[in-house]
Amino acid sequence: MSSEANALELKDVEIVYQRRHRTPVRAVAGASIAVKPGQIVGLVGESGCGKSTLARAAVGLVAPSAGSVLFHGEPVKPLGLRSRPASLTGLQMVFQDPQSSLNPRRTVGSQLADALEIVRRTPRSGHPARVSELLEQVGLPASASSRYPHQFSGGQRQRIAIARALAADPTVMVLDEPLSALDASAQAQVANLLVRLCRDLDIGMLLISHDLAIVNQVADEVAVMYLGLIVEQGPTGELWRTPRHPYTEALIGAIPQADGEHSQPTVLPGEVPNPAAPPAGCRFHPRCPLAFDRCRTDAPPLLTVEPGRTQACWLQRADVPA
Amino acid sequence: MTALVEVEGLRVSLPGPNGAVTIVDGLDFTVEEGEIFGIAGESGSGKTMSALAMLRLLPPRAIVEGRIVYQGRELLGLDPKAMRAVRGNEISMVFQDPMTSLHPMLTIGKSLTTQVRQHFGVSRAEARKRAVEMLAEVRIPDPEGSLASYPHQFSGGMRQRIAIASALMCRPRLLIADEPTTALDVTVQAGVIRLLERLQRENGLSVILITHDLGVMSTAADRLTVMYAGRIVESGTTRRVLQDPWHPYTQGLLGALPRPDRSDDKLVPIPGSPPTPAMLPSGCAFHPRCPKAVDRCRSEVPPLELISGDRIACVVATASGAIESKEVRS
Repeated sequence: MSSEANALELKDVEIVYQRRHRTPVRAVAGASIAVKPGQIVGLVGESGCGKSTLARAAVGLVAPSAGSVLFHGEPVKPLGLRSRPASLTGLQMVFQDPQSSLNPRRTVGSQLADALEIVRRTPRSGHPARVSELLEQVGLPASASSRYPHQFSGGQRQRIAIARALAADPTVMVLDEPLSALDASAQAQVANLLVRLCRDLDIGMLLISHDLAIVNQVADEVAVMYLGLIVEQGPTGELWRTPRHPYTEALIGAIPQADGEHSQPTVLPGEVPNPAAPPAGCRFHPRCPLAFDRCRTDAPPLLTVEPGRTQACWLQRADVPA
Repeated sequence: MTALVEVEGLRVSLPGPNGAVTIVDGLDFTVEEGEIFGIAGESGSGKTMSALAMLRLLPPRAIVEGRIVYQGRELLGLDPKAMRAVRGNEISMVFQDPMTSLHPMLTIGKSLTTQVRQHFGVSRAEARKRAVEMLAEVRIPDPEGSLASYPHQFSGGMRQRIAIASALMCRPRLLIADEPTTALDVTVQAGVIRLLERLQRENGLSVILITHDLGVMSTAADRLTVMYAGRIVESGTTRRVLQDPWHPYTQGLLGALPRPDRSDDKLVPIPGSPPTPAMLPSGCAFHPRCPKAVDRCRSEVPPLELISGDRIACVVATASGAIESKEVRS
């Protein structure tokens, strides 16, 4: 697949946070992800693995130290003092907590109209109609426009945040943990909404989440991140059924099942190491139940194991010469 | 098993601009000694308010009615001083967010030793020794050294384990854990749940586990109560409630969960949103979202009926006879 087909493409992105008098932190140590139109790509990993940093870099909120971020082939300029180029308004972000991403003191309608005002795709007189349309698209009544964010439940607020992103007619949406603050039922509602928007409007979505179970349900592709590196990537169903990386396996095994059987999820020992001092060799080796000598010294490269699937683990790559 | 805590007709109301709003409406449950008792439900269903009411941590303007009998003592009637001796000592609590429940400017050692010194008047050295023991118990590496550290120096999972250690410093009989794993990664969550289970098994600790995550409930709880809009809609053994849910709400909650074996990408949510306590629907509060609602549900508040040890508040489920007939089969 040529890179032109990708709506959003991150190539070997590295993000280093400089710290005064201390070693810099490589929050993202070289990650590549591509999102095609009408595709949902899930990015999963534990907190502190750099997934949110990567998401912020994808929309230009953080400048990558190396590598490139392309939106329909055009480099994404990190946000600066100048206003964002019009060509980038189609690249939108939805944040985790709608409680803090929406203004509590203004009505939903006026906040959506703001978004329309900024992108200027709709003439001012058309705003009220378009606001109703946006609300309808996310499954809220038009009457919601005169109400305030606090008058809605968590799930409804997240829909409002999504409606605001939709105001810019996005072709790509980056969603940072849009489902994790929600109850199961609201989560299912918003997850279904995202799938529908993606299919109906042909929007490419990068869905960041720590919850592999929900990502498994909605994403077409999944990338698993550990300590700044993508360790495995592939089509959702295959990755779930046959995880190739021990970390992916651990993430799947840790999900508790609501089967009433008291079945115990697998405990992954240890903690995510400090990204300022990552372990030598494979970054996962101190917690890996299958680690052997080579893992402690050599970092495994991310290699294609079969068409569409990549993984970075020595265990499956014993045939690769060092 | 004997009852450690009996809650009878617990009602919590808060004053609102248009009169008092009932948040928890007539809660009854019993926690046995040495069991993990689960309270499940969506946010806003009154789970946390019930827990805070049990420890009398609600602001004075909150109206709390009913009875909370802990080992023969009625907690709601205790004077503040006597209540202080119970709180943190016999019953303690772990909150959702370990970032806010540990004091950011106190060392772990200070946080952990203050209460045990307060409650038992033990010496500093003795309190310190106990803190080291507790930190080792919750598997904090280098417990001795971490006493001098501050909360921000630990990861989220470790902070939650420290919060649990802190709650256990006075060897309580009952621990109320309010969404203890919700802020944590799944990999860490499994460890915290195992810790609670180990403490239950080895120390005979009783736990009230409050969570909206039925997966967590399934791994840890012995018995389970499901709340909706301030009331119990169903309760029973965790196995029965999760494998054969009676109430349409419980069925809906389970149906909304992502399942690895389901290949299509459509989840089945419960339609609508939970009601706000100030504007509860008439009759059964769940009826506007319920796929099985009949006319009676709109007018009658369904009583919580006892059926072979389990409880259910749904006129449709009890009238259908489906519950009894299932039992005959099994």
